[in-house]
Amino acid sequence: MTNNLSRRNFLLTCSGACLWAALGGGTGLVRPAGAAESQKSVGRVHVFKDNAPDELWKWSREAFSYEKLAGGKVTCNVCPNHCTLSVGDRSICRSKVNMDGKLYTLAYGNPCSVHVDPIEKKPLFHFLPQSRVFSMAATGCSFRCLNCQNWEISQVRPEEVRHYDLFPEAAVERALRTNTRAIAYTYSEPLTFFEYMMDTARIARQKDVKNLLISNGYVNREPLLDLCRVLDAANINLKSFDDKLYLKLNGGRLQPVLDTFKTLDEQNVHFEMTTLLVPGYVDDPDMIRDMCKWITDNLGVNHPLHFLRFYPHYKLDRLPPTPVPAMEQMREIAMEEGIRYVYIGNVPGHEANHTYCHNCEKMIIERQGYEISAAGLSGGRCRFCDTEIPGVWNEKDKT
Amino acid sequence: MKSRTEGRILQLVVVTGITSVVSQLLIIREFLSRFQGNEFVIALILFSWLVLGGFGTWAAGAASSRILPANRIRLALLSMLLAVLSPLTLLAVRVLRDVMFVTGSAVGFYATFGYILATIAPFCLLLGFVLPYSLFCARVLEPGFSGTRIYIADNIGDMSGGALFSFLLVFFATPMQALVIVNAALLVSAFFLIPAGQHHRLALGLAAAVGIAGLTAMLWTEAPSLHRPAGELVHYEESRYGRVEIFKNQGQHTLFLDGRPVFSDQNLFQAEESVHYPLSQLDRVKHVLLVSAKGGMMRQIRKYDPASVDYVEIDPAITRALFQYDMLRKIPGLNVIHQDARLFLSGSDKQYDAIIVNLPEPETFQINRFFTTRFFAQARRHLTDNGIFSFHTNAPGNYISDIQAKKISILHQTASAHFSDILMLPGRRLYFLCAQRPLDTDIPARLAEKNISTKYVRGYYTGNVTPDRIGQIKSRLQTDAPVNTDYMPRMVGIMFSQWFAEFESTPAVFTALLALGLAVYLLRSRSEEFVLFTTGAMTMGSEVLVIFAFQVFFGYIYFEIGLIITVFLAGLLPGAVIGEYGRNIGRRLFIVTDILLITAMVAFMAALWFAGDVLPESAFLVFGGIVSLACGIQFPVALHVGGRENPAAVRAFSADLIGAAVGTLTVSVVLMPYFGLIWTAAALIAMKTFSLTFVTLTYDK
Repeated sequence: MTNNLSRRNFLLTCSGACLWAALGGGTGLVRPAGAAESQKSVGRVHVFKDNAPDELWKWSREAFSYEKLAGGKVTCNVCPNHCTLSVGDRSICRSKVNMDGKLYTLAYGNPCSVHVDPIEKKPLFHFLPQSRVFSMAATGCSFRCLNCQNWEISQVRPEEVRHYDLFPEAAVERALRTNTRAIAYTYSEPLTFFEYMMDTARIARQKDVKNLLISNGYVNREPLLDLCRVLDAANINLKSFDDKLYLKLNGGRLQPVLDTFKTLDEQNVHFEMTTLLVPGYVDDPDMIRDMCKWITDNLGVNHPLHFLRFYPHYKLDRLPPTPVPAMEQMREIAMEEGIRYVYIGNVPGHEANHTYCHNCEKMIIERQGYEISAAGLSGGRCRFCDTEIPGVWNEKDKT
Repeated sequence: MKSRTEGRILQLVVVTGITSVVSQLLIIREFLSRFQGNEFVIALILFSWLVLGGFGTWAAGAASSRILPANRIRLALLSMLLAVLSPLTLLAVRVLRDVMFVTGSAVGFYATFGYILATIAPFCLLLGFVLPYSLFCARVLEPGFSGTRIYIADNIGDMSGGALFSFLLVFFATPMQALVIVNAALLVSAFFLIPAGQHHRLALGLAAAVGIAGLTAMLWTEAPSLHRPAGELVHYEESRYGRVEIFKNQGQHTLFLDGRPVFSDQNLFQAEESVHYPLSQLDRVKHVLLVSAKGGMMRQIRKYDPASVDYVEIDPAITRALFQYDMLRKIPGLNVIHQDARLFLSGSDKQYDAIIVNLPEPETFQINRFFTTRFFAQARRHLTDNGIFSFHTNAPGNYISDIQAKKISILHQTASAHFSDILMLPGRRLYFLCAQRPLDTDIPARLAEKNISTKYVRGYYTGNVTPDRIGQIKSRLQTDAPVNTDYMPRMVGIMFSQWFAEFESTPAVFTALLALGLAVYLLRSRSEEFVLFTTGAMTMGSEVLVIFAFQVFFGYIYFEIGLIITVFLAGLLPGAVIGEYGRNIGRRLFIVTDILLITAMVAFMAALWFAGDVLPESAFLVFGGIVSLACGIQFPVALHVGGRENPAAVRAFSADLIGAAVGTLTVSVVLMPYFGLIWTAAALIAMKTFSLTFVTLTYDK
């Protein structure tokens, strides 16, 4: 009996230590509430309760667009998620927190990713071709796309990454030092670091550096209107034309994205659209036809549309790549519906990488990857038939 | 009459053992082809299987006294239900996946664990139930019926099932066919439990007939129940290594291996990058070795006009399918070798100008073997002086996370020990080019010099593989990073961390709950159960360890896994016989067998450490045999010490199952990936030493 008791005591001590180690060791690793594993649908996502840091840091600023509510709560008004946060909560995008009844961004002046890319990589084919773009991102995203290309920065908190110390003034200076003509807010979801982007864009505009938004387009009208005042071009993802698919694969809704396109069009911002053709989901010809009809009815025929080839990635890693004939079929549908410039991306050497005049159908820009020859274009017009080609072809075209 | 019925009960236990092992192996393979195919998932299945079995066993003890008193008709009916549940479980694993999760998406740790528990629970609980229930039935006829006889019968069944599957069914039957065969045998065996002339026999015969008809009908569910990611399934084959499927979608063929797309005939990025990055560095390309391949590679290699291309692919089913559907082209000088690449190199003197590794991420021990210092050294020995060695991993994208930085650093450090220059090119994937001479980053220029045309590399390289991005990767290299070795598979641990990071989860909660549950169980257990628990853990832990060590040194684990599992089961039988005869010695036999286990493990580890390279296969098998022998001896002794009543037998069966479950999980997912071979062995030795010390201290002379 004595032996039995002592063994139990010993085991109790050992297992207690193991438990402590497991919990203690993992404490720092435990992710915030709302972080969900893959399920039947990404569905609606939720704010992170009691997840704000104890205190603000150097890279914090009071948010530009929010509403104070009773009981110290606040509602962020940047994106259609409209996160309502109690004191100590964190937004869906992970970048905003409620500290003592005020909404703060934690993603200001701390980009985690900074590169210089060809503008065609964004992709922007009708905006200053062959130029190089200073590209940067802080963390965060309003969506939860299963195939996210940048999940290591879009699905984490600002405090979890290594970052640069690059406040707006310094960011613009750095862009100029790298001999780039534009800053692209890209990679993650730039609308989640809205304040940083706005302040940087204002300074950039003053210094004649263009501002490019590469985004999911999930933004409310008021902040978007503010942004449009300093924005030169955008590439907005139209992930599908089905609200259920938006919920299932991306954790967002379709209508706000469509509204963004209308606002950009109305504000006369150059924009291009990108749709990733995910096999089995975003490859239904009827859906694509409806999408293209909506585009031509609401935005006109001149905004370029890029169909990108899907490759298995991140959580969506058990699907095949998109068949090239399927992409060609979607392009044909889009052109049948009247969209003039429809490209196929992620397929090297494909003829739909090039730009053809919508009037005479001759090749005016040849693209071999990022090697570009715009021999068929002169002053923004087709060299063969003198038709004006929609786009911003040199810096003087539009300011 | 009585002994004849007992014989039929034992016969039923044997057949149940056969079906349980065949079902287990097939369900594991099914999970591997539908979920992450890593050791975590295998361990979770085995763990769930054993724990649920343990619960079933416990439930049998509780139920048999009141709710479901033991009798043969009930046993026969339960066995028939088990026979039907087995293929239904397989179907559930297949079909419910796309109901529960987004089709085509990966599934995280906790969701996988929940899915495993939910789908296999009915079968495993019942399986755990019928084993002790069989004993209780036998004891209705003969109260002194020894539990060891059931244990021995179960072991014979397990062993036969392992051998039947590994040496026969895997080659000649689809999963559903295999399950129908073994479960039909179980239905027949259950029917014969009731002697002729008894009034329930007709009803049982009817039930068996309906069961067999149902099983037969399930054969037609095989093809429709396979997953449909997109397109038409044009090729399906269950090879001994896994499931090979080819889907055709608008002219594109994609080969899925265990549910993941690994080859596509329209993936120009991979074909061009994996061929031209290394081969453009060479002045002349004469002999090339490919460790696996990517769709379209041969077309690219042909541009260099090599004299020979040795393409090593372990699974003939893959190459057959690739060539049949023109996903790989036969080019002059191509020599297809169906062998493990490490084994092939160890038996070859050929020198190559380039060795190109085209394998998936090293998330399993098997794949990790091609990212270790031992393999890199082997590759180096087979390269010409100017030769180049290339491998790749997922590219870090626009941001290099800490996990990615660690992974890249370990790989760089491992390669640095064998190559003076390592060039890292962050293309669509991150390519490591390794050589004993300076390498050139300007790939397009080199291709232009050679007059080799490309579609992707030519136009995209300068925008994707920029000096800035190369510089960022170099800046994140950790100079003190450890080396990835066969003994210490650090990449597997990194990949586990990556998996958890993708799903924003951590194993801490699971570990804590497991520790808590284990503590409660051990505190409530008796001393002989504790010994059985540690022995169960030691046996399964050793089995995982032997499988791991075997593939490190021999590489061809797939051929031998059936043999290893069979050996680990085979020792149980003579052990149980010895234990049954020597059970009166009591706890002294525990001490002797614990000492035997510890000594065997120490000797085995010493042999691996000092002479791993020259150790014959038989040494691994002898070790497995000793471990299972010791385990087999202890079981009857524990039954004897614990008392002959039914609850004691239930506790003994449960202790063995739970110990085995904990041993499998701990060794596979904690000890091996994070602490390596030697520390895993040390942990098992420490655990058994603790058990030995405890038994010795509590030994009542």
